Amino acid sequence: MASTFGGLNTALTSLYAQRRGLDVTGQNIANQNTEGYTRQKVRMQSQTGSLNPGVYATTTQVGNGVTVSSVERGRNAYLEERGRTEHANSAYLSTQKTSYAQIESVLAEPSDTALQARMHDMWDAWNDVANNWQDPSTRSALIERSQTVATTLNDTHASLDNQFTANRTQAQAFVSQVNNLATSIADMNQQIVVAHSAGLEANELMDQRDVQIMQLSELTGATTQSKTNGAVNVYLGTAPLVSDFSTRTVELTGPPSLAAWTADTPVALKWNDTDMPVTTGGQMGAMLDTMNNIIPTISGQLDDVAASLAKNVNDAVMAGYDINGDEGTAFFQGTTAGEIKVLVTTPDKVAFSAGNPKNLDPELAALDHGVADSLSEMGTSSTGPDATYQTMIGQLGVASQASARRSDIQDAVTDQVDTTREAESGVNLDEEMTNMLTFQRGYEAASRVLTTIDSMLDQLINRTGLVGR
Amino acid sequence: MTIPSRVTDSSMSHRMLGDLQRNMARGQKLQAQISSGKVLSKPSDSPTGTVTSLQLRGELRATQQYTRNADDGVGWLGTIQDKLGAASSQIIRVRDLTVQGLNAASTDDGSRGALKAEIDNIRQSLIGEANTKYMGRPVFGGTTPGDTAFDDTGKYVGNTAETTRTVGPNARVRIEANGVDAFGANDSDTQLFKVLSDISTALDDNDHAALDDALGRLDSAHDLLKSTLSDVGARYNRITQMKQSADDHLLSVTSQLSDIEDVDLPKAIMELQIQQTSYQAALAASAKVIQPSLIDFLR
Repeated sequence: MASTFGGLNTALTSLYAQRRGLDVTGQNIANQNTEGYTRQKVRMQSQTGSLNPGVYATTTQVGNGVTVSSVERGRNAYLEERGRTEHANSAYLSTQKTSYAQIESVLAEPSDTALQARMHDMWDAWNDVANNWQDPSTRSALIERSQTVATTLNDTHASLDNQFTANRTQAQAFVSQVNNLATSIADMNQQIVVAHSAGLEANELMDQRDVQIMQLSELTGATTQSKTNGAVNVYLGTAPLVSDFSTRTVELTGPPSLAAWTADTPVALKWNDTDMPVTTGGQMGAMLDTMNNIIPTISGQLDDVAASLAKNVNDAVMAGYDINGDEGTAFFQGTTAGEIKVLVTTPDKVAFSAGNPKNLDPELAALDHGVADSLSEMGTSSTGPDATYQTMIGQLGVASQASARRSDIQDAVTDQVDTTREAESGVNLDEEMTNMLTFQRGYEAASRVLTTIDSMLDQLINRTGLVGR
Repeated sequence: MTIPSRVTDSSMSHRMLGDLQRNMARGQKLQAQISSGKVLSKPSDSPTGTVTSLQLRGELRATQQYTRNADDGVGWLGTIQDKLGAASSQIIRVRDLTVQGLNAASTDDGSRGALKAEIDNIRQSLIGEANTKYMGRPVFGGTTPGDTAFDDTGKYVGNTAETTRTVGPNARVRIEANGVDAFGANDSDTQLFKVLSDISTALDDNDHAALDDALGRLDSAHDLLKSTLSDVGARYNRITQMKQSADDHLLSVTSQLSDIEDVDLPKAIMELQIQQTSYQAALAASAKVIQPSLIDFLR
């Protein structure tokens, strides 16, 4: 037979449990707009009575009330991992897209003012020289326009160099951020494991840890593995960055500028302890790709344009003669976009003539427009620098467009996953209100049980056995 | 109880913000197209379109060059035509004078002297004409490095190299006529200035036979000049036609370029209108997302 006062205790456990439920509802509502907060749910469990039959007594027990077995986080671990992957992809592609957009804005094609138009101006100037070489002003104009082309190439190269350096500096800052995040995650791992082993809930701390892991994933494409003790291991590629409470650090190596960059000495992220390269995705992966592939490719193609320009013009003028009958000297110096410059500074030194006016045979002595004429057609030649440049712009456009499209698609996917994650872990006020009602009513009902038992006891204690008094 | 698909305020606002952002991005792109008038503002807008645009711009510039080259060529050939025409009429005058000289063989030295003096004058003036310059270059001098085509004695000091102007794709037109073409080679008997000086000498010497012979050679020299003149005229026509076709091509390239680069305004404005309507609809819907919740109905 159950104890007389057993019912009181049952009602009491209910009062406790309903109050806990209301507390959690309050916490959920308070954090409905907190980034990374996961709604929590009270898991209640009915308490059974003693199940071991006594020697002298068997009970017809109904259980001892209710207990709060746990406060759960409403989070789907699979969705979280998926979210991290998609966020890392999004960060990678959007960084890549930005890099391409920057390069496109540096080159600024198609327009009436960018490099292609400058080159057309220069070939036009050669044409003017061909038509009217006896006028020194045409040759002066040619020198000016050639210098503009050279300067535009120099400036474009400098812009690419700046972009490289800016990426390098930012990547350096990100590396310290990655190392700080790793340390912070390891710290939280420790606190969570300690709390867990003490039977305490560390839900809010786990939320914070998830936010930081998400930052890390966006930065580096990190993946995670949850452990049963509550800790989370973080991996870059397959190598651990955080395992339980310990971390490894990464460092950025490689050349500080585009000038020092070679294919053999790329900018790389390495483990501090083993000196092995780190596999990265996310923002840093895209930045490394920008520094090691995108910028060097464009810069190399721009160098090809400069080299082709210098070679074609130099070959032509060095076979020709200037107005004084002197043999032509190199027009351009340098074969890279960064270094190319115009050597000829006076109009008299522009070698435009295929014929040599100083030829000893007076029949062959000639001053014509041969060199200038052939150079004026270079702009539409399929082997000239313009064709090289157009190919380069075409390739850049394709790459940039592909990157932008992939980024847009990825953003839609990420949004979708985020929406699903928010749906899973976000706070729904209607639900909270309903829960609040339920708990409130539960509390009221438990109080009623208490009152009822109390009045039963009142009956028993104060009004029983009064017959005949 | 299971809830099949949970919807929360944050998932709704997340989705809503994403959609609004995309909607605005579309609007921004259309606005940019309309305000700049270009659908092609960077290579990634259309890589193939960009390359075509760069090539068309190259073709545009080349065609503009052809037009300018043709203008220059017309200047050269026009000058040559004028000068050869003038030379031809002067040769006719010389012929008249020579025929007079033949008829006046028996007449007095004085009138022959007058004929000779006029012929000598014409010769000097013809040498002057033959040294005509266009833009500082002797038009009959070939590619001579010097300033003149003929020296004072009527000897050709230029060369026979050709100068051309490119007036179309692979279309080069010769824009000069050298002294040999127009007036005969130095060592030839029919070189105009030699014939003229022979006539002058024959008049001086009152050599009837030599004068007669020279008259025949003068006709040959005149024929050479006239054939060159007609050749120059033909080239003048050709270059004018090429200029016309370059001008036409310029129009067609410009319109092609515009097709690729420029915005189709009615279409873009229509799209913008649709986008704005859908954006407003999205905004209206978004405003409803912040719906009254259960709180409003609990007392």
